Amino acid sequence: MSDDAHNNDSHHNLMVNNKKLLMWLFLGSDCMFFGTMISTHLIYRKLYPESFDPTSLFSLELTSFSTFILLMSSFLMALAVSAMHKGDIKSFRRNTLGVIFFGLIFLACQVFEFTEFVHEGLTLNSGTFGSTFFMLTGTHGVHVAIGVFWLTCMYFYSYTGKMDPHESAIDVEVAGLYWHFVDIVWIIIFTVIYLIEFIK
Amino acid sequence: MSSTLTEPTTPATHDHALKPEKSNLGLMRPDHSKSVIIDWLTTVDHKKIGIMYGAMALFFLLVGGLEALIIRAQLIVPENDLVSAERYNQLFTMHGTTMIFLAIMPLNAAFFNFLVPLQIGARDVAFPRINSFSLWAFVAGALVLNFSWLMQAFSELGWFTASGPTAGMTDFVPGMGWFGYAPLTERQFTGVGTDFWIMGLQILGIASLSASMNFIATIVNMRAPGMKMMRLPVFTWMTLIVSLLIVFAFPAITIALGQLMFDRVFDTSFFQVAQGGQPILWQHLFWIFGHPEVYILVLPAMGIVSEVLPTFSKKPLFGYSIVVFSGAVIGFLGFAVWSHHMFTTGLGKVATAAFSLLTMAIAVPTGVKIFNWIGTLWGGRVRFDAPMIFSVGFIWMFMMGGFSGIMHSAAPADAQQQDSYFVIAHFHYVAIGGILLASISGLYFWLPKILGKMWAGKLSTWVAILSTVGLNVTFFPMHFLGLIGMPRRTHTYLSGFGWEGYNMICSIGAFILGFSILLFVVDIILLMTKGKPAGNDPWDARTLEWATTSPPRSYNFARTPIIPARDALWEHKHGAKNRKITFVDEGIHGIHMPSQSWMPFIASFGFVPLGLGLCLMQAGVAYMGYVTIGGLAIIALGVTLWAIEGPGGYHLHPKEDEI
Amino acid sequence: MSDTLSTSHADHSGEEQKYHAFINLALVLAAITGIELVLVYLPINGTFIFATLVSLSLFKFFSVIAWFMHLLYDKLILTLAFGTGLSIASGTVVALMFIMDRGFVDFEAISAF
Repeated sequence: MSDDAHNNDSHHNLMVNNKKLLMWLFLGSDCMFFGTMISTHLIYRKLYPESFDPTSLFSLELTSFSTFILLMSSFLMALAVSAMHKGDIKSFRRNTLGVIFFGLIFLACQVFEFTEFVHEGLTLNSGTFGSTFFMLTGTHGVHVAIGVFWLTCMYFYSYTGKMDPHESAIDVEVAGLYWHFVDIVWIIIFTVIYLIEFIK
Repeated sequence: MSSTLTEPTTPATHDHALKPEKSNLGLMRPDHSKSVIIDWLTTVDHKKIGIMYGAMALFFLLVGGLEALIIRAQLIVPENDLVSAERYNQLFTMHGTTMIFLAIMPLNAAFFNFLVPLQIGARDVAFPRINSFSLWAFVAGALVLNFSWLMQAFSELGWFTASGPTAGMTDFVPGMGWFGYAPLTERQFTGVGTDFWIMGLQILGIASLSASMNFIATIVNMRAPGMKMMRLPVFTWMTLIVSLLIVFAFPAITIALGQLMFDRVFDTSFFQVAQGGQPILWQHLFWIFGHPEVYILVLPAMGIVSEVLPTFSKKPLFGYSIVVFSGAVIGFLGFAVWSHHMFTTGLGKVATAAFSLLTMAIAVPTGVKIFNWIGTLWGGRVRFDAPMIFSVGFIWMFMMGGFSGIMHSAAPADAQQQDSYFVIAHFHYVAIGGILLASISGLYFWLPKILGKMWAGKLSTWVAILSTVGLNVTFFPMHFLGLIGMPRRTHTYLSGFGWEGYNMICSIGAFILGFSILLFVVDIILLMTKGKPAGNDPWDARTLEWATTSPPRSYNFARTPIIPARDALWEHKHGAKNRKITFVDEGIHGIHMPSQSWMPFIASFGFVPLGLGLCLMQAGVAYMGYVTIGGLAIIALGVTLWAIEGPGGYHLHPKEDEI
Repeated sequence: MSDTLSTSHADHSGEEQKYHAFINLALVLAAITGIELVLVYLPINGTFIFATLVSLSLFKFFSVIAWFMHLLYDKLILTLAFGTGLSIASGTVVALMFIMDRGFVDFEAISAF
């Protein structure tokens, strides 16, 4: 058995890559992180359902659109990872650029939505609803922004020639896992914050 | 190569003048530095990192102990005025926070770091630079938290007054209890002390989280050939379980602290009653973290005892599989009992009953472990060397803490005991009688391996006697104090309730305990200055770390061992011929070592302006918001450069006959 | 050392299959999002809509994990690592929802309402 125990590409006994295991552990931890915030939001909605009616403020069309955008970005990310595994750097670059672009559109939708809400009077200081809504969606937005930054660095790094497809496939896969996770958290947020408010 | 503590006295390898190389960034990697300071600041060696964690932990143990002695001095007589009420609150807050986050957790981290790679037959952890990052993030968090003392001193001297968000507040050191209950922690009621506490804990949380993910990957992936999971030393198993607990418990407090920070900085309504916030939610979120946290503190101690008892009984651990399984059950159940800290908050009958039953259930696997430890001693050829004395002491003293714990689990009884001295008795028995005694046992056991020197003289016997006497004289009377009604967290008390006698005894006991710790420090200094060379295996031990030199070489093992059985070293020395440890032939490339790096240090340095900036902003100092953002930028820069520089590495070629 | 070296040829056909799975999943996800959007406006029983929305989200959640994030194709240990975090988080959310009750709120103290 080779002794490059410090080469982060190595995997030993359970034949699982170190970096991948680390990212899944981080995502497990992030589940608890978002779970705590989501439960805070749900608790306050359970306690004070009449305190605020967001249906007049929420635009389900806009939010469905941004949900759709994020889902499609996830699809492109899966393609980017696949491309890297096949060693096709050009395809990797195209798809990654797509993910970045869609991610930026999502962020733009969020910024637009938040600005609208603030104009209409819903801010961080608007009672429990404002606090939980902005903290949860804001934290999610920061996660998306970090992902966009990460992928942008990766995109430019692919032009330096130092990115060997076989060595770097794992790095792309790990970035992909992070991006998909950010997407699935949004799926939960979309349902639990937006959709269920509209049920009569 | 630099001559540091962990290098053996005879030069081991013939490396033809190793030169540092450039990283992918085009900068020189700080390998093979002649400067001791640069070597230790940029090290990724798990052994050096472990030593640094341990040194800091022992320092903060003394700081926390000093805070405790002042508390006990204040309480020795009724209506004492040694310290003011505000100062007293700050003392018990910092005592708890320091002992838990700055003493025990890093001491556990020191053991994890030093031992786990050696025990599994690996050369280092899975992510050496993340390991370095965890250490320096811990240092940053400790700095931010204790900077508050400096601010308090400035305030007392009249050099600084709070303005802006916390104008009029005089508490710069946290004074709201180590558990920070809302709404006391809101901006209207406490000053920047709370902000220092929030930022300190957040930074320390990041340090713990990154370290534990590293250890899980290491234990899962980096084991030597033949080291199956059920052949792992129990200490390594406990490290794995504790790391999983950290990964899943810390996010709860991260969010709770974040929400509190938003309340204080942005005036949100998470816990502010007037706007609909529910302070009870803080209690829930805090204890969802807080209960697993106490198992995070105690399981490593149980791991240490599970290594020491078999070694000094010359017998394998009784019921290895059950001990491991019980540890896992304790960890898992630990997530389900948090509201037993809240029995008196009016949860309702169903919730109270559920948490009460689950808490009683957790006593079962704990009891199972105790029986297994006793079973290990039974029929063994017992030697009462220093580590053994402390481990045996652990069994008894921890059990006593367990008894008062099971008394708490009965919610009706807890209704009287909650917030009284009975609780203080309970957790100090498990913390000092349990965790501290086991940690001292571990230090007596492993310091010869870590430093390469052996203990001399019998000071350890005095440490054992005085610490046990001190523990019992201080905390046993507190059971009675609690049952006759003395409340916690009160800076003084009136005479006439019958509390005076007990308090005086407790305070005397505290000084005996403090003296025993002083003796322990003296013993360590004697070890470092006068200790004779320890040899590889001074205790005739059972696990792999004792197969290396003392201290181990930088690469741990010259050739990777192939493990035939559990307690591999014992089998190798005393077992059948076919149970000997054999070795992997490394080939001509030699041993690959990870490169050292500045980036983890730089990235974690950013936590200092991040933490201090926010706190000083809350204190009204101008432009501190920019300092905070600057801190974030430094962290981001450090991490980005870290990603780009690449892991690097170099090769060492040990001599033929070396281990 | 990495997964791809030894299976580079087999991988291409494996990657092709995965590619088709990805496209199909992407279309399904888009369709489901559309259905959710329409569903909330329909004049059907509220509890039914709620149950359907939750089920659809759970399906979206787990299918992204299984296919886009590869968990179906990977080692069990990764599912365990993530699954433990998910179970603990879910259990905590559910427990908190049961414990926190309107009956304990002191509405007198809240000036915001």
